[in-house]
Amino acid sequence: MAWLDRELGNDEMVELERHIGACSECRSRLESYKHSSATFDAYCDAVVSAQTHRRRVPRWVPVLSTAAAAAITATVVLVLLRARVETPALPRPVPVQVQAHRSAVVLENVPAPTPAPGKTMHRPRATTPGTLRQTANWQPTERAIQISIPADSMFPPGAVPQGVNFIVDLSIAADGSAEQIRLRPRLMEVQRRQP
Amino acid sequence: MSGDSLPLALPLSRFATGACEVTDLYRELREPLLRYLVCLGLSRDEAQDVVQDAFLSLHRHLASGRSEENVRGWVFRVAHNQARNRQGSYHRRFGEPLDLEIDVRLDETTPEGLVLEKEKLRRLRQAITLLSESERECLLLRAGGLRYREISEVLGMATSTVGDTIERAIRKLAEKCNV
Repeated sequence: MAWLDRELGNDEMVELERHIGACSECRSRLESYKHSSATFDAYCDAVVSAQTHRRRVPRWVPVLSTAAAAAITATVVLVLLRARVETPALPRPVPVQVQAHRSAVVLENVPAPTPAPGKTMHRPRATTPGTLRQTANWQPTERAIQISIPADSMFPPGAVPQGVNFIVDLSIAADGSAEQIRLRPRLMEVQRRQP
Repeated sequence: MSGDSLPLALPLSRFATGACEVTDLYRELREPLLRYLVCLGLSRDEAQDVVQDAFLSLHRHLASGRSEENVRGWVFRVAHNQARNRQGSYHRRFGEPLDLEIDVRLDETTPEGLVLEKEKLRRLRQAITLLSESERECLLLRAGGLRYREISEVLGMATSTVGDTIERAIRKLAEKCNV
Protein backbone atom coordinates (compact mmCIF):
# COMPACT_ATOMS: atom_id res chain seq x y z
CA MET A 1 0.00 0.00 0.00
CA ALA A 2 2.84 2.38 0.77
CA TRP A 3 4.17 1.79 -2.72
CA LEU A 4 0.71 2.36 -4.14
CA ASP A 5 0.37 5.61 -2.22
CA ARG A 6 3.91 6.66 -3.18
CA GLU A 7 4.93 6.95 0.45
CA LEU A 8 8.28 5.20 0.00
CA GLY A 9 11.60 6.65 -0.86
CA ASN A 10 12.91 6.65 -4.38
CA ASP A 11 15.16 3.64 -3.94
CA GLU A 12 12.43 1.58 -2.34
CA MET A 13 9.96 2.60 -5.00
CA VAL A 14 12.26 1.46 -7.79
CA GLU A 15 13.09 -1.78 -6.08
CA LEU A 16 9.46 -2.65 -5.36
CA GLU A 17 8.41 -1.72 -8.86
CA ARG A 18 10.96 -4.09 -10.26
CA HIS A 19 9.70 -6.86 -7.97
CA ILE A 20 6.07 -6.30 -8.86
CA GLY A 21 6.89 -6.51 -12.51
CA ALA A 22 8.36 -9.96 -11.95
CA CYS A 23 5.97 -11.34 -9.27
CA SER A 24 2.49 -12.22 -10.46
CA GLU A 25 1.22 -12.85 -6.93
CA CYS A 26 2.20 -9.36 -5.77
CA ARG A 27 0.75 -7.93 -8.96
CA SER A 28 -2.55 -9.68 -8.31
CA ARG A 29 -2.58 -8.50 -4.71
CA LEU A 30 -1.81 -4.97 -5.84
CA GLU A 31 -4.75 -5.03 -8.25
CA SER A 32 -7.00 -6.26 -5.48
CA TYR A 33 -5.85 -3.40 -3.23
CA LYS A 34 -6.43 -0.89 -5.99
CA HIS A 35 -9.92 -2.21 -6.53
CA SER A 36 -10.75 -2.11 -2.83
CA SER A 37 -9.41 1.39 -2.51
CA ALA A 38 -11.43 2.58 -5.48
CA THR A 39 -14.56 0.94 -4.12
CA PHE A 40 -14.04 2.61 -0.78
CA ASP A 41 -13.65 5.98 -2.49
CA ALA A 42 -16.84 5.31 -4.44
CA TYR A 43 -18.62 4.49 -1.24
CA CYS A 44 -17.48 7.75 0.33
CA ASP A 45 -18.64 9.65 -2.74
CA ALA A 46 -22.02 7.94 -2.50
CA VAL A 47 -22.36 8.86 1.17
CA VAL A 48 -21.45 12.48 0.50
CA SER A 49 -23.75 12.66 -2.51
CA ALA A 50 -26.65 11.22 -0.57
CA GLN A 51 -26.06 13.64 2.28
CA THR A 52 -25.98 16.52 -0.18
CA HIS A 53 -29.19 15.50 -1.93
CA ARG A 54 -30.99 14.61 1.23
CA ARG A 55 -33.98 16.87 1.70
CA ARG A 56 -33.22 19.48 4.25
CA VAL A 57 -35.94 20.43 6.68
CA PRO A 58 -35.62 23.98 7.96
CA ARG A 59 -35.15 24.22 11.68
CA TRP A 60 -38.33 26.26 12.12
CA VAL A 61 -40.53 23.53 10.62
CA PRO A 62 -40.63 21.23 13.67
CA VAL A 63 -41.07 24.22 15.98
CA LEU A 64 -43.95 25.55 13.90
CA SER A 65 -45.53 22.10 13.67
CA THR A 66 -45.42 21.68 17.42
CA ALA A 67 -46.89 25.12 18.01
CA ALA A 68 -49.69 24.50 15.52
CA ALA A 69 -50.52 21.16 17.10
CA ALA A 70 -50.61 22.75 20.55
CA ALA A 71 -52.87 25.55 19.33
CA ILE A 72 -55.29 23.12 17.69
CA THR A 73 -55.40 20.98 20.81
CA ALA A 74 -56.05 24.00 23.03
CA THR A 75 -58.83 25.19 20.72
CA VAL A 76 -60.54 21.83 20.73
CA VAL A 77 -60.32 21.58 24.51
CA LEU A 78 -61.75 25.07 24.96
CA VAL A 79 -64.61 24.39 22.56
CA LEU A 80 -65.45 21.16 24.34
CA LEU A 81 -65.33 22.78 27.77
CA ARG A 82 -67.53 25.63 26.63
CA ALA A 83 -70.07 23.30 25.11
CA ARG A 84 -70.12 21.28 28.31
CA VAL A 85 -70.84 24.37 30.39
CA GLU A 86 -73.55 25.79 28.17
CA THR A 87 -75.46 22.63 27.37
CA PRO A 88 -78.05 21.75 30.02
CA ALA A 89 -77.64 18.34 31.39
CA LEU A 90 -80.71 16.64 30.08
CA PRO A 91 -81.29 13.11 31.23
CA ARG A 92 -81.43 10.70 28.47
CA PRO A 93 -84.74 9.07 27.76
CA VAL A 94 -84.68 5.73 29.42
CA PRO A 95 -86.76 2.76 28.57
CA VAL A 96 -89.50 2.14 31.08
CA GLN A 97 -90.18 -1.39 31.97
CA VAL A 98 -93.61 -1.68 33.43
CA GLN A 99 -94.34 -4.92 35.12
CA ALA A 100 -98.03 -4.57 34.72
CA HIS A 101 -100.79 -6.69 36.01
CA ARG A 102 -102.51 -9.12 33.76
CA SER A 103 -105.22 -6.67 33.06
CA ALA A 104 -103.39 -3.43 33.58
CA VAL A 105 -103.17 -0.97 30.78
CA VAL A 106 -100.24 1.34 30.07
CA LEU A 107 -101.30 4.74 28.96
CA GLU A 108 -99.13 7.58 27.88
CA ASN A 109 -99.63 11.17 28.92
CA VAL A 110 -103.22 10.74 29.65
CA PRO A 111 -104.57 13.33 32.02
CA ALA A 112 -107.30 11.16 33.35
CA PRO A 113 -108.87 7.90 32.44
CA THR A 114 -112.16 8.01 30.73
CA PRO A 115 -114.69 6.00 32.61
CA ALA A 116 -116.30 3.33 30.62
CA PRO A 117 -119.70 1.81 31.20
CA GLY A 118 -119.79 -1.02 33.62
CA LYS A 119 -116.58 -2.43 34.97
CA THR A 120 -114.61 -1.94 31.85
CA MET A 121 -111.91 0.55 32.55
CA HIS A 122 -109.78 -0.13 29.53
CA ARG A 123 -109.09 2.53 27.06
CA PRO A 124 -109.69 1.59 23.47
CA ARG A 125 -106.04 2.07 22.55
CA ALA A 126 -104.72 -0.10 25.29
CA THR A 127 -101.65 -2.13 24.57
CA THR A 128 -100.55 -5.49 25.72
CA PRO A 129 -99.31 -5.91 29.27
CA GLY A 130 -95.61 -5.51 29.94
CA THR A 131 -95.03 -3.25 27.03
CA LEU A 132 -91.71 -1.46 26.83
CA ARG A 133 -92.36 2.20 26.35
CA GLN A 134 -90.11 5.09 25.53
CA THR A 135 -91.80 8.44 25.19
CA ALA A 136 -90.41 10.92 22.78
CA ASN A 137 -91.27 14.06 24.65
CA TRP A 138 -90.45 12.84 28.03
CA GLN A 139 -90.23 15.52 30.67
CA PRO A 140 -88.98 14.56 34.08
CA THR A 141 -91.18 17.06 35.90
CA GLU A 142 -94.39 15.84 34.37
CA ARG A 143 -96.34 12.77 35.04
CA ALA A 144 -94.97 10.25 32.67
CA ILE A 145 -97.32 7.32 32.77
CA GLN A 146 -100.76 6.91 34.09
CA ILE A 147 -102.05 3.45 34.64
CA SER A 148 -105.65 2.55 35.12
CA ILE A 149 -106.08 -0.64 37.15
CA PRO A 150 -109.40 -2.31 37.74
CA ALA A 151 -110.16 -2.53 41.43
CA ASP A 152 -111.08 -6.19 41.34
CA SER A 153 -107.59 -7.03 40.12
CA MET A 154 -106.03 -5.71 43.34
CA PHE A 155 -108.68 -6.45 45.95
CA PRO A 156 -110.85 -9.45 46.68
CA PRO A 157 -114.26 -9.42 45.13
CA GLY A 158 -116.60 -7.32 47.14
CA ALA A 159 -113.89 -5.50 49.10
CA VAL A 160 -114.19 -2.44 46.96
CA PRO A 161 -117.59 -0.97 46.28
CA GLN A 162 -118.74 -0.98 42.76
CA GLY A 163 -117.87 2.15 40.94
CA VAL A 164 -114.58 2.74 42.74
CA ASN A 165 -111.49 2.79 40.62
CA PHE A 166 -107.86 3.67 41.23
CA ILE A 167 -105.61 5.98 39.36
CA VAL A 168 -101.90 5.24 39.62
CA ASP A 169 -99.42 8.06 39.24
CA LEU A 170 -96.06 6.59 38.47
CA SER A 171 -92.91 8.72 38.45
CA ILE A 172 -89.89 7.20 36.77
CA ALA A 173 -86.41 8.12 37.96
CA ALA A 174 -83.54 8.78 35.57
CA ASP A 175 -82.16 5.30 36.03
CA GLY A 176 -85.46 3.76 35.00
CA SER A 177 -86.63 2.75 38.43
CA ALA A 178 -90.00 3.71 39.85
CA GLU A 179 -89.46 6.83 41.85
CA GLN A 180 -92.95 7.34 43.19
CA ILE A 181 -96.18 5.38 42.93
CA ARG A 182 -99.39 6.94 44.13
CA LEU A 183 -102.82 5.33 44.15
CA ARG A 184 -105.73 7.68 43.93
CA PRO A 185 -109.19 6.22 44.45
CA ARG A 186 -111.80 7.52 42.11
CA LEU A 187 -115.49 7.13 42.29
CA MET A 188 -116.99 6.31 39.01
CA GLU A 189 -120.53 6.96 38.04
CA VAL A 190 -122.72 3.92 38.11
CA GLN A 191 -124.98 3.77 35.23
CA ARG A 192 -128.39 2.92 36.09
CA ARG A 193 -130.18 0.25 34.25
CA GLN A 194 -132.72 1.42 31.88
CA PRO A 195 -136.10 0.39 32.93
CA MET B 1 -5.44 9.58 -4.04
CA SER B 2 -2.71 11.27 -2.10
CA GLY B 3 -2.31 14.94 -2.73
CA ASP B 4 0.72 17.10 -2.22
CA SER B 5 1.03 18.99 1.01
CA LEU B 6 0.78 22.74 1.22
CA PRO B 7 3.85 24.81 1.75
CA LEU B 8 4.93 24.02 5.23
CA ALA B 9 5.21 27.36 6.96
CA LEU B 10 2.25 29.73 7.04
CA PRO B 11 3.11 32.60 9.35
CA LEU B 12 0.70 35.22 10.54
CA SER B 13 2.00 38.01 8.37
CA ARG B 14 1.47 36.05 5.21
CA PHE B 15 -1.90 34.77 6.32
CA ALA B 16 -3.16 38.15 7.35
CA THR B 17 -1.95 40.09 4.36
CA GLY B 18 -2.36 37.53 1.66
CA ALA B 19 -6.09 37.16 1.26
CA CYS B 20 -5.48 35.21 -1.91
CA GLU B 21 -3.53 32.58 -0.02
CA VAL B 22 -6.26 32.20 2.54
CA THR B 23 -8.82 31.82 -0.19
CA ASP B 24 -6.71 29.20 -1.91
CA LEU B 25 -6.25 27.33 1.34
CA TYR B 26 -9.98 27.34 2.01
CA ARG B 27 -10.80 26.25 -1.52
CA GLU B 28 -8.32 23.43 -1.36
CA LEU B 29 -9.32 22.04 2.02
CA ARG B 30 -13.04 22.75 2.18
CA GLU B 31 -14.34 19.88 0.05
CA PRO B 32 -11.95 17.23 1.43
CA LEU B 33 -12.86 18.34 4.93
CA LEU B 34 -16.57 18.21 4.20
CA ARG B 35 -16.20 14.79 2.65
CA TYR B 36 -14.25 13.47 5.59
CA LEU B 37 -16.68 14.88 8.16
CA VAL B 38 -19.77 13.61 6.34
CA CYS B 39 -18.22 10.18 6.05
CA LEU B 40 -17.50 10.30 9.74
CA GLY B 41 -21.22 10.63 10.32
CA LEU B 42 -21.96 14.34 10.48
CA SER B 43 -24.73 15.90 8.48
CA ARG B 44 -23.85 18.30 5.70
CA ASP B 45 -24.87 21.30 7.82
CA GLU B 46 -22.91 20.06 10.81
CA ALA B 47 -19.89 19.44 8.62
CA GLN B 48 -20.04 22.97 7.24
CA ASP B 49 -20.22 24.36 10.75
CA VAL B 50 -17.21 22.30 11.76
CA VAL B 51 -15.25 23.46 8.70
CA GLN B 52 -15.98 27.09 9.50
CA ASP B 53 -15.00 26.58 13.11
CA ALA B 54 -11.80 24.86 12.03
CA PHE B 55 -10.78 27.75 9.81
CA LEU B 56 -11.73 30.21 12.53
CA SER B 57 -9.47 28.30 14.88
CA LEU B 58 -6.72 28.40 12.26
CA HIS B 59 -7.11 32.15 12.01
CA ARG B 60 -6.88 32.56 15.78
CA HIS B 61 -3.94 30.21 15.91
CA LEU B 62 -2.02 32.19 13.33
CA ALA B 63 -3.19 35.52 14.71
CA SER B 64 -1.66 34.62 18.03
CA GLY B 65 1.75 34.69 16.35
CA ARG B 66 2.29 30.99 16.02
CA SER B 67 3.09 29.27 12.78
CA GLU B 68 2.12 25.86 11.61
CA GLU B 69 4.26 23.72 9.41
CA ASN B 70 1.63 21.18 8.47
CA VAL B 71 -1.44 23.31 7.86
CA ARG B 72 -3.50 20.54 6.24
CA GLY B 73 -2.88 18.14 9.07
CA TRP B 74 -3.56 20.88 11.62
CA VAL B 75 -6.91 21.85 10.09
CA PHE B 76 -7.95 18.22 9.72
CA ARG B 77 -7.01 17.53 13.32
CA VAL B 78 -9.05 20.48 14.60
CA ALA B 79 -12.02 19.45 12.48
CA HIS B 80 -11.65 15.85 13.57
CA ASN B 81 -11.68 16.80 17.25
CA GLN B 82 -14.63 19.15 16.84
CA ALA B 83 -16.52 16.48 14.97
CA ARG B 84 -15.83 14.03 17.75
CA ASN B 85 -17.12 16.51 20.29
CA ARG B 86 -20.40 17.16 18.56
CA GLN B 87 -21.23 13.93 16.86
CA GLY B 88 -23.49 11.48 18.53
CA SER B 89 -23.86 9.86 15.18
CA TYR B 90 -20.33 8.67 14.64
CA HIS B 91 -21.34 5.05 14.47
CA ARG B 92 -24.64 5.81 12.79
CA ARG B 93 -23.42 6.49 9.28
CA PHE B 94 -22.12 3.08 8.42
CA GLY B 95 -25.12 1.38 9.95
CA GLU B 96 -27.66 3.18 7.82
CA PRO B 97 -29.26 1.59 4.78
CA LEU B 98 -27.44 2.33 1.58
CA ASP B 99 -30.42 2.49 -0.73
CA LEU B 100 -30.45 6.26 -0.93
CA GLU B 101 -26.74 6.57 -1.58
CA ILE B 102 -26.73 3.87 -4.20
CA ASP B 103 -29.75 5.29 -5.99
CA VAL B 104 -28.14 8.69 -6.09
CA ARG B 105 -24.92 7.36 -7.48
CA LEU B 106 -26.13 4.70 -9.85
CA ASP B 107 -29.26 6.15 -11.34
CA GLU B 108 -27.91 5.95 -14.88
CA THR B 109 -26.68 2.38 -14.92
CA THR B 110 -28.47 -0.61 -16.35
CA PRO B 111 -30.68 -2.64 -14.04
CA GLU B 112 -28.18 -5.48 -13.94
CA GLY B 113 -25.33 -3.13 -13.22
CA LEU B 114 -27.38 -1.41 -10.58
CA VAL B 115 -28.04 -4.67 -8.79
CA LEU B 116 -24.39 -5.71 -8.96
CA GLU B 117 -23.18 -2.34 -7.76
CA LYS B 118 -25.69 -2.33 -4.93
CA GLU B 119 -24.57 -5.73 -3.84
CA LYS B 120 -20.92 -4.72 -3.98
CA LEU B 121 -21.47 -1.59 -1.91
CA ARG B 122 -23.66 -3.48 0.53
CA ARG B 123 -20.88 -5.93 1.16
CA LEU B 124 -18.40 -3.11 1.42
CA ARG B 125 -20.59 -1.39 4.00
CA GLN B 126 -20.71 -4.56 6.04
CA ALA B 127 -16.95 -4.85 5.80
CA ILE B 128 -16.49 -1.22 6.85
CA THR B 129 -18.54 -1.77 9.97
CA LEU B 130 -16.15 -4.54 10.94
CA LEU B 131 -13.11 -2.27 10.74
CA SER B 132 -11.66 -0.75 13.85
CA GLU B 133 -12.14 2.93 14.46
CA SER B 134 -8.53 3.81 13.69
CA GLU B 135 -8.60 1.74 10.50
CA ARG B 136 -11.73 3.50 9.36
CA GLU B 137 -10.38 6.93 10.15
CA CYS B 138 -7.09 6.21 8.42
CA LEU B 139 -8.93 5.11 5.29
CA LEU B 140 -11.17 8.16 5.36
CA LEU B 141 -8.27 10.55 5.79
CA ARG B 142 -6.38 8.78 3.03
CA ALA B 143 -9.44 9.10 0.81
CA GLY B 144 -9.43 12.79 1.70
CA GLY B 145 -6.00 13.15 0.13
CA LEU B 146 -3.83 13.28 3.20
CA ARG B 147 -0.37 11.82 3.26
CA TYR B 148 0.66 9.31 5.89
CA ARG B 149 2.55 11.98 7.80
CA GLU B 150 -0.54 14.21 7.93
CA ILE B 151 -2.75 11.33 8.97
CA SER B 152 -0.36 10.52 11.76
CA GLU B 153 -0.63 14.10 13.00
CA VAL B 154 -4.42 14.11 12.85
CA LEU B 155 -4.81 10.84 14.69
CA GLY B 156 -1.77 11.15 16.90
CA MET B 157 0.01 8.00 15.85
CA ALA B 158 3.32 7.16 14.21
CA THR B 159 3.66 7.40 10.47
CA SER B 160 4.73 3.79 10.18
CA THR B 161 1.67 2.80 12.20
CA VAL B 162 -0.49 4.70 9.77
CA GLY B 163 0.97 2.76 6.86
CA ASP B 164 0.44 -0.56 8.59
CA THR B 165 -3.09 0.37 9.60
CA ILE B 166 -4.06 1.39 6.09
CA GLU B 167 -2.59 -1.74 4.57
CA ARG B 168 -4.40 -3.90 7.12
CA ALA B 169 -7.69 -2.13 6.53
CA ILE B 170 -7.46 -2.44 2.76
CA ARG B 171 -6.56 -6.09 3.06
CA LYS B 172 -9.63 -6.66 5.26
CA LEU B 173 -11.89 -4.95 2.78
CA ALA B 174 -10.43 -6.94 -0.09
CA GLU B 175 -10.91 -10.21 1.76
CA LYS B 176 -14.40 -9.55 3.08
CA CYS B 177 -15.76 -7.90 -0.01
CA ASN B 178 -13.95 -10.28 -2.34
CA VAL B 179 -13.41 -7.39 -4.69
